[in-house]
Amino acid sequence: MSSPPESLRAIPPEGGRTPVAWQSQFHGGAEAVPSVPPRPLRRPVRTVLGIALLGLLALFALLGPWLVGASPEVQDLRNTLAPPSAQHWLGTDVLGRSALARLAHAAQLSLGMALLAAVSAAVPGTLLGIVAAWRGGRTERALLMLSDSVLAIPGLLLVLLIAALAPGALWALYAGLSAALWVEYFRVSRAVARPVLAGDTVQASRLLGFGRGYVLRRHLLPALAPTLGTLLAFTTSQAVLALAALGFVGVGMQPPTPELGLMMTEAMPYYEEAPWLIAAPTALLVWLVAAMMLLNPDRETA
Amino acid sequence: MNPSMSKPWAALVGRRLVQVLAVSLLIGTLCFLMVRALPGDLAMRVAAGRYGYDLVSNAAADAVRAELELDRPGWLALLHWWRDMATFNLGQSLVSQRSVWHEVTHHLGATLRLSAAALAIAFAVGVPLGVWAGLRPKGWVDKASWLMAVVLRALPPFLLSVLLILLVAVQWGFLPAGGDESQASLVLPALTLGLGLAAGLARVTRAAMLEVVVSPFFEFARTKGLSDWQALVRHGLRNAAVPVTAYLGVQALFLVEGALVVETLFAWPGIGHALVHAVFGRDIPVVQGTALCMGVLFVVFNLLVDAACLALDPRHTQKVAK
Amino acid sequence: MTTLSSAPKPLTRRRALQAPVAALAAGALPAAWAQGTPTASAPAPLQIVGPWEISGLAPASSGYVFTRLQVTETLLDAADDGQPRPALARLWRRSADGLVWQFELRPGARFHDGTPVTAAAVVRSLQAAQVAPALLSQAPIESITAPDEGTVLIRLQRPHTALPALLAHSSTMVLAPASYGADGKVRSIIGSGPYRIAVLVPPQQVETVVFDAYDGPRPAIAAVRYLAASRAETRALMAESGQADLAYGLDPASLRRLQRHAQNPALARRTAVRIASVTLPRTVIVKLNAGLPALRDVRVRQALSLAIDRAGIALALMGDEALAATQLLPPTLGAWHNPHLPPLQHDPEAAARMLRAAGWQRHSDGLRDAEGQPLHLVIRTFVDRPELPLIATALQEQWRLAGMAVKVSIGNSGDVPRGHRDGSLQLALAARNYANVPDPTGTLAGDFAAQGGDWGAMGWHSDTVVQALQELTRTQTPPERTRALRQTITRTLQTELPVIPVAWYRQHVAVAPRLAGVTLDPLERSYRLTSMEWNNP
Repeated sequence: MSSPPESLRAIPPEGGRTPVAWQSQFHGGAEAVPSVPPRPLRRPVRTVLGIALLGLLALFALLGPWLVGASPEVQDLRNTLAPPSAQHWLGTDVLGRSALARLAHAAQLSLGMALLAAVSAAVPGTLLGIVAAWRGGRTERALLMLSDSVLAIPGLLLVLLIAALAPGALWALYAGLSAALWVEYFRVSRAVARPVLAGDTVQASRLLGFGRGYVLRRHLLPALAPTLGTLLAFTTSQAVLALAALGFVGVGMQPPTPELGLMMTEAMPYYEEAPWLIAAPTALLVWLVAAMMLLNPDRETA
Repeated sequence: MNPSMSKPWAALVGRRLVQVLAVSLLIGTLCFLMVRALPGDLAMRVAAGRYGYDLVSNAAADAVRAELELDRPGWLALLHWWRDMATFNLGQSLVSQRSVWHEVTHHLGATLRLSAAALAIAFAVGVPLGVWAGLRPKGWVDKASWLMAVVLRALPPFLLSVLLILLVAVQWGFLPAGGDESQASLVLPALTLGLGLAAGLARVTRAAMLEVVVSPFFEFARTKGLSDWQALVRHGLRNAAVPVTAYLGVQALFLVEGALVVETLFAWPGIGHALVHAVFGRDIPVVQGTALCMGVLFVVFNLLVDAACLALDPRHTQKVAK
Repeated sequence: MTTLSSAPKPLTRRRALQAPVAALAAGALPAAWAQGTPTASAPAPLQIVGPWEISGLAPASSGYVFTRLQVTETLLDAADDGQPRPALARLWRRSADGLVWQFELRPGARFHDGTPVTAAAVVRSLQAAQVAPALLSQAPIESITAPDEGTVLIRLQRPHTALPALLAHSSTMVLAPASYGADGKVRSIIGSGPYRIAVLVPPQQVETVVFDAYDGPRPAIAAVRYLAASRAETRALMAESGQADLAYGLDPASLRRLQRHAQNPALARRTAVRIASVTLPRTVIVKLNAGLPALRDVRVRQALSLAIDRAGIALALMGDEALAATQLLPPTLGAWHNPHLPPLQHDPEAAARMLRAAGWQRHSDGLRDAEGQPLHLVIRTFVDRPELPLIATALQEQWRLAGMAVKVSIGNSGDVPRGHRDGSLQLALAARNYANVPDPTGTLAGDFAAQGGDWGAMGWHSDTVVQALQELTRTQTPPERTRALRQTITRTLQTELPVIPVAWYRQHVAVAPRLAGVTLDPLERSYRLTSMEWNNP
């Protein structure tokens, strides 16, 4: 499922070796050497393009169902597998449902669910990371060991088993995905929080008598925000792909819910007589991946 | 091996051994707990797996329930499972009633074959490209391989396989049949996994080559009078091999895990496919055995990679011994 | 590289080795040549590909795989119409009171390990088949004994006319005593059929060759290979590329693909397969819980049935409009199919009228009863047959148009019997094989018994049907009476609708051109390999 990790950056001039990092679709770049990317002075073209693609996708997900208008559920059993026409821009599927309407609803559902899953991974991960950086010592070591152990479990197995606890139930999918994805947030937030907490500004604030809440609000969160924001975007796209993969394999949401992976599975047998049925959700996912790629070509999106 | 070398080896092996034990215990217990928590009547699921939908009935489920003694209390079953793990007794599949070990090796063999083929493709495609790109940076090969790397790395395997199917099937009108284990049916799944790997491998090789080319020993080899090619082969490759090997090591998990979707799509009878079936069929021993083997395999593979790195680069010994 | 000298070349190690190697090669070549050329042009083994995997060696789990490959035999066979025919039993007799059945075995029958087929071996296999879910457990058997080497005696507690049909089921297949391990489980398959196992690699591969000591005519096909491939596209492609001679389990999409390719001249390089089809005695049914307050009223059940567009479902999902079910049992089961029954209709207005008459008011968001409760139901189904989830989705939409909100729950096939037992089942979609045992009487008796059946009625029973089935099962009724009883049963099931039929099935098989004499068994008991032969090229 995933692609090679790219934390092997360009060779540093000193000739030392950067530690190799690995990443899988479900664990998501956990051992990445943390980096707080410097804010560029001028956004390069590809970043603008990436943001534009992502924005278009989000727009399609938000407004698509309303714009398309047709229902994704109405069937027409005598007009199945129809090619794209004026009436159905993307043709009909095996039950005569409008493929475009299903795609729009699927985009909405998949992106929405993925965002939720990413958030449900971000919250515990970030909290634990901050706790680890704050407390240090045994707590930190214990949390590190926990995250290492979770990494050792094949991520897919974890998601599979948790999702199977309640087949088709959304909460189980969220739980499974966040169990696999939280480690990345943990690592990143810990890596960002440590230098901040050890730095002079926080020391000064503590000496002046400001409490933990103040430190959290004024020092940690601003430092974490940009990194976490980017990470959230990436985790969301990972979650979309993971959900699609799960739907493809048969775990995940149940028909007749339109979901990208499910649509691809349903369309597979007709790859020859109706290739547009599988091409459309595939194109959507490629669009998502391309947007992510443009935003940061050095990073894994899968 | 001289005595000064054995210390890092011992440390390496020792660390990985501890990891194996920890991983096995964790995975084994976790699987046990989770599978027991799964909904649905276990005996009925097993009966459905064994006898199929035409014959499954309440009577069949009752017979299975009696046979499997599923009324034992949970903690007792856990103790039994720990004891079984320690004696390498993985039990019997509830559905097929063959030994789990047999099932796992059968499926794992298929997955390993797929992974080997994918690795071979990755090597054959990625390394030469990376070497070429590293030797001639900014050339068209370099740019093309960058583009290919970016595109292929970004696509997850299941997306890539769908695209390949659409290309191969619609364009050329054939799809090498999946499911059976003939040579031809290995092509598409191996290609799917291998291309993704090849792209990253090409970039890593390129980066390593770049470093080698500017290094003093390479300069020296050229000064000595060796041609580009000879210097490369005699001195460059071994140095470049270390980061490449390390990179491959971290991809081990990707191959085994990522193979799941590919296996399901192409009906390749591998371990990921078997795992999904076992989870659906509540075949607890197979789930536990498969998960254990995957975890252990991951650790063993990492051990091999570490050993390879150690063998390739003796300078590693200081780092490992720490 | 040219050398000038005429002086003898020094004897280096290389030269010393060259000579013997050359000699070896020279000698080996003719030998290899002789071996490489086949003595007679023996055709490659017959390759069958199907979706059925071999999950374990127990007869109840995978017996059908081996009976289809004609590796094992059962006591009796069945003709296309379900009539029993001799197999391992050459003839059989029934006592006057119907309680004692006597079977005489074929004298020359031998197992593949050379031992003769004795009555003791048959008894052992039959006794193993009495454990659920093997179907023999349905018969009221008191004892199975072997009074002598060639006779098997079965004593019943009550008369059971369907016994010959039960003895034709694959779970009663006869294995040699050496097949069983010390724990009583089957360790290897040693049958008595015209083919014996050469290679067995579960779950996917079986290879068989002709059994020389078979006491029947020698089949023309010398070797057979079976491969399980789970995807339908794979099977179709194997047929097209010539890799498979018989490809079972073609879904409508693959069928259309094969037909398209056959008409496309550009693809002429592929093997021109032909399609053989047979209608199966399998029906897609909606099993419903008639004990639910909503479904207790027969008008609601009839409305559910009237709302179903069977022709549409058959056309879109099964490839042929003619497969729309008009009654429960398809025409293949000639004796049970009742041409006089008014067929099931698709009439949404009539359905609406029925629902109104039953007290359901149509509101903007669906139906509600007198108290304002909406009609919400859950239909369970499973993915083992890929068309079932799609049919469930189609039904869901059609019932939604009628005002009923039905949720689809896709799970495991075991969820249906479990839901039947604990009462949680509301609706279920399944593909019921009514000729599981060649005589449907047994299946129907199990499904529509007084207490209902795991795959049949739930919360409903009809004394008429129960009594009619009992009479058919227990007594040897004259043909007129049999027909009358069957018509009573089918008529009651058609009007009361404890299960709602949706569609029938047709099986499509791709046949390679080099194969002749292919016929399909509607009862799915055998591939009929012994009647096939190679086409002379």
